[in-house]
Amino acid sequence: MMNRDAPSATQAGNPGSFYPNHLFVESLAALAVFAATVLAAYVWQVPLEEMADPGDTTYVPRPEWYFLFYFQLLKYFEGPLVVVGTFFLPLLTLTLLILLPFLDTSPTTDIRKRPCAAALSLAGVVAVVALTALSVVEDESHVDKIVLPPITEEQITAGREIFNKFCMLCHAIDGKGGFMAPDLTQIGSRANRAYIERVIINPQIVSQTTIMSVIPLSDAERHEVSAFLSRKK
Amino acid sequence: MSRIYKFLDDRLNLSPLLKEIADHQVPDHANPLKTPTALIYCFGGICLFILLLQILTGVFLMLYYVPSPDNAYAGVNYIQNELAFGGLVRGIHRVGASAAVVMVFLHMMRVVLTGSYKNPRELNWIVGIVLLLTVMGFCFTGYLLPWDQKAYWATTVGVNMVESIPLVGNFLAAALRGGSEVGMLTLVRFYVVHVMFLPALLVIFLAAHFFMVRRQGISRPL
Ligand code: HEC
Ligand code: HEM
Repeated sequence: MMNRDAPSATQAGNPGSFYPNHLFVESLAALAVFAATVLAAYVWQVPLEEMADPGDTTYVPRPEWYFLFYFQLLKYFEGPLVVVGTFFLPLLTLTLLILLPFLDTSPTTDIRKRPCAAALSLAGVVAVVALTALSVVEDESHVDKIVLPPITEEQITAGREIFNKFCMLCHAIDGKGGFMAPDLTQIGSRANRAYIERVIINPQIVSQTTIMSVIPLSDAERHEVSAFLSRKK
Repeated sequence: MSRIYKFLDDRLNLSPLLKEIADHQVPDHANPLKTPTALIYCFGGICLFILLLQILTGVFLMLYYVPSPDNAYAGVNYIQNELAFGGLVRGIHRVGASAAVVMVFLHMMRVVLTGSYKNPRELNWIVGIVLLLTVMGFCFTGYLLPWDQKAYWATTVGVNMVESIPLVGNFLAAALRGGSEVGMLTLVRFYVVHVMFLPALLVIFLAAHFFMVRRQGISRPL
């Protein structure tokens, strides 16, 4: 099956030559990808978050998008099954990939005549795409509904009361309150809601030695305060 | 141009070498000028192009990057927010990583679609898998380098996963971290792997890949 297409040395210039014709087409394609990459890099300001803080165990990291499918897959294996997701499945996939040429040995290369290989690879691609999509969807609902319910007027009113009761001792807002802590009148323009929630859960993320205490609020009460504060702009 | 070439050719006898590399026919079924769908045969070349782009932008990033917890973040912050075009170069390197993953994946799909992994190209398929793992390795090690919250905690999670592997898990995780927690030693070894080990591996296996592609010719439909 060795099929070296006889390289006839003097044919440069006909449409089938590697150099310069094919290289030209190939370069055009690469140039298109290059342009798209630069454009994306320019439009999407690559994020740089706060400096790493090994003490802040409340941080929930997200992997880069191309690892999301795997991240999602791992959610289905808990407790003693974790090792299936972290070890046996990757091992199985890798083994299958390596063995593919030795399993699919029929001489034909026509995809329609290789139903097994076609089905298996299609299943693989569909699984990766579906898991990625699922992860993105679950992620959004996680941030919006479970951790942070949408802000309502009642929440803001209730949040103001809780703030007056528990936080005003130290924090001032709209010219009233204590002076032992930062004025929070414009906290909403400085910080997002998730950050406020994290400060309430664990004040030490602001500073290791802070005098702000952990105030035992229920989840609902915390959401109310954070809703109130995130609207103070 | 042609005089410089002649000067070099007279002394080094380059022509036979260049002929071997560049002077061959691309069969019609793999030639986008003849068959438009043959664009899928360009994916491998595009992978190579992106990897070169990654090397170029990566070298520029290295000029301002020092792999220690205190300096890493400061360096990336400087590149991103102060250095002229620094944000763009970092952006290209970051988006380029995504593009490399996408293109390698598409290239692999093309090889599966055209059944090109079959006899006699089994070895090149396996070399390809090594290349795939290398690219994934670049992504994993590179993610830690900015040393921001996301980098730190994503890597912590990743290494903790290694820990669950039976028997050798604890040892492997400790070796990756250089200790019991992600810290300075982890940063240094991820950096070294990212800029020395993996590039070396990449170059060796790319050479093998291209040697085999040229030697065996592009597969034809059967
Ligand atoms: C015992 C005093 C005290 C109480 C009570 C207190 N805080 Fe604080 N808070 C502080 C101090 C002090 C800081 C500044 C952190 C530092 O640098 O130590 C702070 C910081 C903050 C910050 C971060 C401000 C910024 O600019 O980053 C937020 C948000 C916050 N507090 C919200 C609250 C909320 C909501 C409550 C009520 C549930 C509350 N605090 C109750 C003392 C307090
Ligand atoms: C690191 C990135 C890679 C680069 C830069 C690369 C580059 C190339 C190039 C330029 C070709 C010539 C044909 C074409 O462009 O399609 C090729 C062919 C091939 N590649 Fe790759 N490749 C990479 C990764 C892979 C992977 C991950 C696999 C599979 C696991 C693979 C398997 C093959 C095979 C089997 C061929 C021969 C195809 C044929 O003869 O039709 N390569 N590669």
